[in-house]
Amino acid sequence: MVNDYQNYKTLILPSKGHLRNVSDYEATGGYKALKDVLAAKESTWTRENVINEVKTAGLRGRGGAGFNTGLKWSFMPKPDGGKRYIAANGDESEPGTFKDRVIFEFNPHLFIEGAIIGAYAIQADAVYVYIRGEYRSWINFMEKAITDAYKAGYLGKNILGSGVNIDMYVHSGAGAYICGEESSLMESLEGKRGYPRVKPPFPAQRGLWGRPTTINNIESLANVPLILNMGSAKYAAMGAKTHPGPVLYGISGHVNRPGVYEYPTGMLITDLIYDVAGGMRNGKKLKALVPGGSSTPILRADQIDGVSMDADSLRTAGSMMGTAGMAILDEDTDIVDFLYRITHFYHHESCGQCTPCREGTGWLEKLLHKIKTGEGELRDLDLLLDLTSQMEGRTVCALADAAAWPVRYTVTRFRDEFEARCKKSVFAFA
Amino acid sequence: MTYTFDSEDLKKIDAIKAKYPTVLSASMPVLWYAQEKFGHVNNEVQHLVAQTLALPESHIHGVATFYTQYFKKEMGKYVLDVCTCFSCQVCGGYEMLHHLEEKLGIKVGETTPDGKFSIQQAECLGACGYAPMLQITNDVYVNHLTKEKVDSLIEDLKQDKMPEFESIIPPQMQNS
Amino acid sequence: MPEIIIDDQKFTYDKPGKVLQFILDQGLDLPFFCYHPSLSIPANCRQCLVEIGTPVFDRATNSFKVDDNGNKLVQFFPKLMTSCSQDMSDGMVVKTHATSEKVRRAQKDTLEFILVNHPLDCPICDQAGECPLQIQTYKYGPEGSRFEFKKVHKPKRIQLGPRVVLDAERCINCTRCVRFSEEISKTNQLTITARGDKNYPTTAPGRTFDDPYSLNTVDLCPVGALTQSDFRFKARVWEMNQTPSIDVTNGKGTNVDLWVRDNLVLRVTPRFNPSVNDYWMPDSGREAYRLFNENRISRPEIKLDTELIKTSWNNAKETLAEILEAHSPKDVFVLGSGYASVEENFAFKTFFANAGISSSAFVPHVISGSGDGFLLTDDQAPNTKGCELVGLEALSEKSLSSSIKKATVIIVLSEDIVGRGLVSSSDLEGKTLIYFGTNKTETAKTAQLIIPVTCIAEHAASYVNAEGRIQRSMPAKETMYTNRSLHPEMNAGRLDRFGTKFDNWRSDNNRVDAYPVWEFLSQLAPRLNQSVNWSDSSDLFDEIASSIPAFDGITYDRMDLEKGVVIQPAETEAKTI
Repeated sequence: MVNDYQNYKTLILPSKGHLRNVSDYEATGGYKALKDVLAAKESTWTRENVINEVKTAGLRGRGGAGFNTGLKWSFMPKPDGGKRYIAANGDESEPGTFKDRVIFEFNPHLFIEGAIIGAYAIQADAVYVYIRGEYRSWINFMEKAITDAYKAGYLGKNILGSGVNIDMYVHSGAGAYICGEESSLMESLEGKRGYPRVKPPFPAQRGLWGRPTTINNIESLANVPLILNMGSAKYAAMGAKTHPGPVLYGISGHVNRPGVYEYPTGMLITDLIYDVAGGMRNGKKLKALVPGGSSTPILRADQIDGVSMDADSLRTAGSMMGTAGMAILDEDTDIVDFLYRITHFYHHESCGQCTPCREGTGWLEKLLHKIKTGEGELRDLDLLLDLTSQMEGRTVCALADAAAWPVRYTVTRFRDEFEARCKKSVFAFA
Repeated sequence: MTYTFDSEDLKKIDAIKAKYPTVLSASMPVLWYAQEKFGHVNNEVQHLVAQTLALPESHIHGVATFYTQYFKKEMGKYVLDVCTCFSCQVCGGYEMLHHLEEKLGIKVGETTPDGKFSIQQAECLGACGYAPMLQITNDVYVNHLTKEKVDSLIEDLKQDKMPEFESIIPPQMQNS
Repeated sequence: MPEIIIDDQKFTYDKPGKVLQFILDQGLDLPFFCYHPSLSIPANCRQCLVEIGTPVFDRATNSFKVDDNGNKLVQFFPKLMTSCSQDMSDGMVVKTHATSEKVRRAQKDTLEFILVNHPLDCPICDQAGECPLQIQTYKYGPEGSRFEFKKVHKPKRIQLGPRVVLDAERCINCTRCVRFSEEISKTNQLTITARGDKNYPTTAPGRTFDDPYSLNTVDLCPVGALTQSDFRFKARVWEMNQTPSIDVTNGKGTNVDLWVRDNLVLRVTPRFNPSVNDYWMPDSGREAYRLFNENRISRPEIKLDTELIKTSWNNAKETLAEILEAHSPKDVFVLGSGYASVEENFAFKTFFANAGISSSAFVPHVISGSGDGFLLTDDQAPNTKGCELVGLEALSEKSLSSSIKKATVIIVLSEDIVGRGLVSSSDLEGKTLIYFGTNKTETAKTAQLIIPVTCIAEHAASYVNAEGRIQRSMPAKETMYTNRSLHPEMNAGRLDRFGTKFDNWRSDNNRVDAYPVWEFLSQLAPRLNQSVNWSDSSDLFDEIASSIPAFDGITYDRMDLEKGVVIQPAETEAKTI
């Protein structure tokens, strides 16, 4: 629980205007962490020490999976003379998520600095920033920022005289949610159809073009300079104990002030809805919310008391942190309709590689359509739950899981509403 | 119509290729380049990209058909992608879509007879807090749509007045 | 030796490998679709899911954790794993459907999903009877489907290429065909198009699937999505009998199977031979089935005036004998062929040598540059090396011309010298040409006497490929004089074994009136005071093995068991002088 959030000073979001110009960014202390690290690379900030600092800070991936970033970095094997890569995941296609674009637009150098430090730490030669194709304007911001960073000597050969060489490139997606999955992202970077890879081998063993690769979310890398500037102890003390640090909450839906807000993790959901986002609009009551993007299980209004936005609290409450993209739904929301549109999304985005997801997402959508139009029967609800168990855990990647969870939990938690939508059976008595 | 790349194009394509260790990786960015130049990547354009990069034609076709932003046929001058997913759905995305259909007299997936507008339904575009919204031809986002805003946007586009990029400042940055 | 426990049974293994391949090698059963031993492993069908557990290594004590009984503690992966992609490791525990309810559920569910959009085409689908989807659904699948919606529609009956038909609705997206065209034939003509459940394999737009190995995708396809266009609707798999044979369209010696119904060869499929052709064969080899069925010489023919008239076997034998007796041996030229088997060439050479004609020759048919380094060789004939080893002299075109000029009687075995352009019909004017052959060729038309002989589909005989490997065929098609039920090496299909003669579709029309070369010559032998008696090709081969050192120690059994025997490694293909 975060108590003093009203006085929180943002660290990722700049305090006034954007910091796209290198000089503006440097004026607020930007690139200091990188300079400190490279200056002390033989002593305080060996690669090992940087990785340990990030690990100790407890930064967990902000892309949805919440895996300890420093720990992920430590999986990279010893260098063997060949190329190594970071792929920065800016695909941001999870419905309800719109936070990484804020970094691209207002503080791109924070991410760039974090990525360079990360590339130094795991001895990567290049960072490929994969940005979803629809973010054309933000791709332009990033490309300009990278060009400026090269000009200022923060990228390229012999950065700041340290002997370290790191390149950075932007790669544009072209409209595929599945390419946010780390191995599908790599396939897409390699110029192929975005089919996720079978794991093992894992990206750290065999990633981009067969070389060791680490994939990190944009926001995760943007946290790295913060950790180095304030120290891992202070960072670990921020927000929730097992899930520390600042996080960008993307609040959307039926609130008065939707938008991106930065607060430490562990904010009470009720604080976020009723204080930060200005409460429910039009004086309506809260019905439900989806806390971390469409893949995370929906929570009813009566399930969110005392629940805070961090991995453990949400898991106990029966959901997940995900991307912290919160969709707030008021009492007039047709939950059946809402779920139908979600199944349509997953059906549209399934890559089609493996059987349970390819056929299952289509079947789920057809069932939800039948129920939505009033043609559904009660046994269809049981079939839906059955299908979700058939899809989960059997596929190459987690898209099938992400498609199954909303169906399972929305139907279970709003059973009455779904049953009411179904056709009355012949044998029902008044 | 024959589609070709001139020497300027080929220079830019070489610069794209230089970013990656393999030619295969240039499939996606060069398809984008071709779409910028020709407005779409139909079958002939796909063959041109394949020949230019010396990659199998079937591979380029597979890539072009996997990703939805590549237009596989000629579209209207302005392709309007209206988001109807998740937050946009519950904030009136479908109302905007239907209003647009009425205003232009075409259905989703169609192009106006004068070749000016195409309407598509999009999945989440990453603008959930500014719903409902639409994107113009894989480029500018138009946020906080209302029927009136949609109407005036269409009028502007009819005169080829593209709206500017709208920078939406996060609330915490506005207060300082 | 590392050890793996599958369904509570211990196995040892010596080479690293994947769990699925190991299970299949033990003769155990596990369903799968997308896996193929010679292709990359995509693990996308999800049919081969099993429970996998590995022993737990305790880094603190540097040893494996054990339970109270001292057995290694096994930790199972939280999710089911695809056995096709899972590397074996020492102490691994595998549970298949035999011992795991979870695995049985997963197999059933996967099949239910595959059948969601799969059309109910079994009654009209060529694949029925040899369809892994049918078989696995029957064994592991659900009783029925709970899917009650319209299935996704995709292009149907598309002529994907000159020889392959695509039915996109049937496709289960195993991607075997795409991987084949990328990894094996390397033509990259196929790709998957679209995304999700709208995807299906196709060529680049406007391009045709004319890969010279395109029909291998038909063999690979586990369903009826890719089928052979000229076999479409011809016969059901269970009506045909399947006989091992050799590809006779070039010198690679690709192992094949001939599929015969009512004594017509309806299709040719490749047979696995890891040393020759793996699982593949060229499309050109499959077209050969027409040679076996059509345009056959049936019953001897003799030329009266300018017309060829059918005649009796006795008459043919008598005529041949008279011709030989009427001419001096040095006026007779005997030409064998790389298109005929070792036995045929040996019998030919030996018989006519006994009659005093000492020199027999053949003309190798090698077109430089026509091979592709894979399964098509420059050598166009299947037994060129065999002819050399049997002792026939390899002639160049020039030498052939002069030999023809010098001779009065020319006896040709299976070599279309006119059709090949080696001689013209005017060169043969005034000569007496005796043609032993299978099909009505240009050369046959110019002959005075035609003796029909059996083709590879009708006899058991051996052929030596360009790399010096000797392999043999088995008879698939009956002649007028052979009987499937009596012949021990002829395969009998379902229709041959069961039913009365009213529901067995057997007509005599397709049985060619021909004898194997060696049998005909044995019949002729007494007339010319020869004692050769070759009734069985296997005995004939034993005679070859004992009289020619190169074949020493080789038997038909060895060829069958060892999938061919290498006689001498060839550095180059057959040379011409």
